[in-house]
Amino acid sequence: MLNMSHIARRYGAAVALESADLSVAGGQVMALLGENGAGKSTLVKILAGLETPDAGAIEIDGRRRRFHSPGQAREAGVGYVAQELSIVEHLSAAENVFLGDIRAGWYRSPRRIAKRARPYLDAMGLSHIDALAPAGDLSVGERQLVEIARLLSRSARIAILDEPTAALADAEIHKVENAVRTLVAKGCAVIYVTHRLREVFRLCDRVTVLRSARSFPAVDVASLDVDQLIEKMLGRRLDQMFPERARAIGEDLLVLRQAQGPGLRAPVSLAVRRGEIVGLAGQVGSGANAVLRLICGLASLLSGEMTLGGEALAPGSLRDAIARGVCFCSDDRKRDGIFAGRAVTETLSAPSLSRVSRFGLIDGERERGFAEPLARRFGLDPAHLRRKTGNLSGGNQQKAALGKWVGVDPRVLLVEEPTRGVDVGARAEIYGQLRRLANEGVPVVFASSDTQEVIGLADRFATFYQGRMVRMWNAADATPEAITRDVTHPEAAALAKDA
Amino acid sequence: MSTVSQGARPALLHGKLARRFFWAAAAAAALALAGWTTPAFLTLDNLFVVVRAASTTGVVAIGMSYVTISGNLFALSAGQLSALLGIVYALLVRAGAGAPAACGATLVAAAGAGAAQGYAMTIVRNPIITTIAFGAVFAGIAALISGNGNIRLHNEIATWIGTMRPLRVPIQSWVFVAWALVSAFIVAKTRVGRLLTLSGENRLAAQASGLRVDRAAAFALAMLGVSCAIVAIFSVSQFSQAKADMFSGLDIDCIASVLVGGVALRGGRGSPVQAALGAALIALLQNFLLLRALPSGVRFAIVGALVVAATSGFHLLQRRER
Repeated sequence: MLNMSHIARRYGAAVALESADLSVAGGQVMALLGENGAGKSTLVKILAGLETPDAGAIEIDGRRRRFHSPGQAREAGVGYVAQELSIVEHLSAAENVFLGDIRAGWYRSPRRIAKRARPYLDAMGLSHIDALAPAGDLSVGERQLVEIARLLSRSARIAILDEPTAALADAEIHKVENAVRTLVAKGCAVIYVTHRLREVFRLCDRVTVLRSARSFPAVDVASLDVDQLIEKMLGRRLDQMFPERARAIGEDLLVLRQAQGPGLRAPVSLAVRRGEIVGLAGQVGSGANAVLRLICGLASLLSGEMTLGGEALAPGSLRDAIARGVCFCSDDRKRDGIFAGRAVTETLSAPSLSRVSRFGLIDGERERGFAEPLARRFGLDPAHLRRKTGNLSGGNQQKAALGKWVGVDPRVLLVEEPTRGVDVGARAEIYGQLRRLANEGVPVVFASSDTQEVIGLADRFATFYQGRMVRMWNAADATPEAITRDVTHPEAAALAKDA
Repeated sequence: MSTVSQGARPALLHGKLARRFFWAAAAAAALALAGWTTPAFLTLDNLFVVVRAASTTGVVAIGMSYVTISGNLFALSAGQLSALLGIVYALLVRAGAGAPAACGATLVAAAGAGAAQGYAMTIVRNPIITTIAFGAVFAGIAALISGNGNIRLHNEIATWIGTMRPLRVPIQSWVFVAWALVSAFIVAKTRVGRLLTLSGENRLAAQASGLRVDRAAAFALAMLGVSCAIVAIFSVSQFSQAKADMFSGLDIDCIASVLVGGVALRGGRGSPVQAALGAALIALLQNFLLLRALPSGVRFAIVGALVVAATSGFHLLQRRER
């Protein structure tokens, strides 16, 4: 159905795509894989009419096409769900299905729109939601499904999903996968961009790998295993994703006693010791993130107590927490982790301005001397320090977002979703750096909805479900199945234990 | 042939160089055309006239650029604050405080009034509304203490301050150039300047990094206040009079200068020097139109068109840069 060949695109001197081919047949799911910066997004944006290629040809049903705007691509039957969702929160779910669709009529009675949207929503497994309720009330996963319903309503024949599950917890990923199967059943050609290899094996028929701006010939997913796929993406063997566990664990450093805060339905008690990495596992809204936000000063302690090194800790703001050496890296680096338009150096030195200035002036030499070791340590090329942070790949942006905290000599590092939207190679490096910090005496507490990450990275972890801590695990004793039970349905887990 | 042009075009329109190039090309083209059609235009004397003409708007535009870079768009109280400060200065001099002391007091009051707006802005979260409200307050106080009349000055030192011509160039021109250079240094090289750009680039990330975003806004508005004070002091000293409506329309002229200079509206990028150059370019154009003896309506329309063209030009370049 679709045939893209020898697509090339450069931005000034930077080559985003050198030569990429991509072919998909109707009723087929083609995975598009590659490290960050390999050119995946550029390739799909060209197909969606958001970028124009410098060279190459696009054929749809044998007809050569050239898109100068997203509208032209849409008319040719190409539907695109971007990584950043385009849901209008104050409009109803039904309105969002027909967003920008003139055929839905100029006069839009809410009831009529809802009625017309219903079958599309139902097909996406959204039969439980009220089509007239504002889309802002939907979960991230449900919004994703509304976007896919939009493709269905426009009868798109080629559907591009750009990392549809990057921000989703495991339970919601299944729903998106089912939605994709619905598209396929209707004869759609689906291009599925992702970092999650498990989805590739569960969902996709064929896979096209992009590496250093070039594509490799597509292969059947069935003919590959995980290691082979990773090797194809990285061009080298990735022996071990996760570093060794803690060598020496010291005394209690950060202690929560019956701590209660917003987003928690029951008080939490937790001790974090020097030298260890503690995971907080749970789906979105489970309370795992609420615990981090309590410690870092974003939420206030309602009852109970927290201590750091034996002294009471009750930060009223992020700033208070930072002053105590408690540093927090959120799960949304673009929003509040990096300064996209400023040099990497400036992102790295932002929390440490007093260290790089003298008499109120920024000391350029001191700042370079400060940023270079941080960059080296995190595997960022020091030659890139003068680049804009936003021009780095997702993985390197994450390294900068984390690296800036290492510069302040933290006592505890709190991280939400340490590797969201980060490619496999950078992921291993980030895990290694977090372990190195722990070994240097700075314990790391992270919240994650990725069970493999929790088991692989943490020494110990707590599971969370619906605002309550379920139990504490030693990572060495845990299995992915047990965690999944804890974070999706702990009652069943308790029964299994009793039996 | 076609492949060459395809490859060369994006490279040329790319990045910092392109922005500078755009600026230089626009200015050079304008100058060449103007000089060719109007011989009186490209003379050294006229250049000094232009710098002097740009200086009042320019100094305040430099102050305004601090606000824009700090991520707070614009302050719409600059005109009223300047007038108020001019009246305060005139009253102090008339009360016998002595011109130097009156200058000092006016500058301090200006910084205070600016910082107050900055902190209020952080609470209200809307710079436009906050400064419109403050502007109304300033205008009210100015009308009140001036008794809605003209305050005349008869003070030799004040007159000397307002009319001195070091190296035969008006002091206002010197101050304009010096303030541009000092401000460029402050924004690019000082710690508080870094606080300003980081807060403007990404307010949430600045907060998450423990930076005082409220102080960035207060500092930016204080610098705008100081700019207003500079302009007020030199204008009042030069003309030996102050009144409440003496700087009407200044806000809009300053915003036009900041936009024509290409300071990014979203904050975090750009330099006060760009605002100064923007003011100079507008003054240049106005000077040329004046030499061509065009009616004022036509002059306004043409300057407005320049603002639209320059702003959209920079916007397109910035989009390309991403």
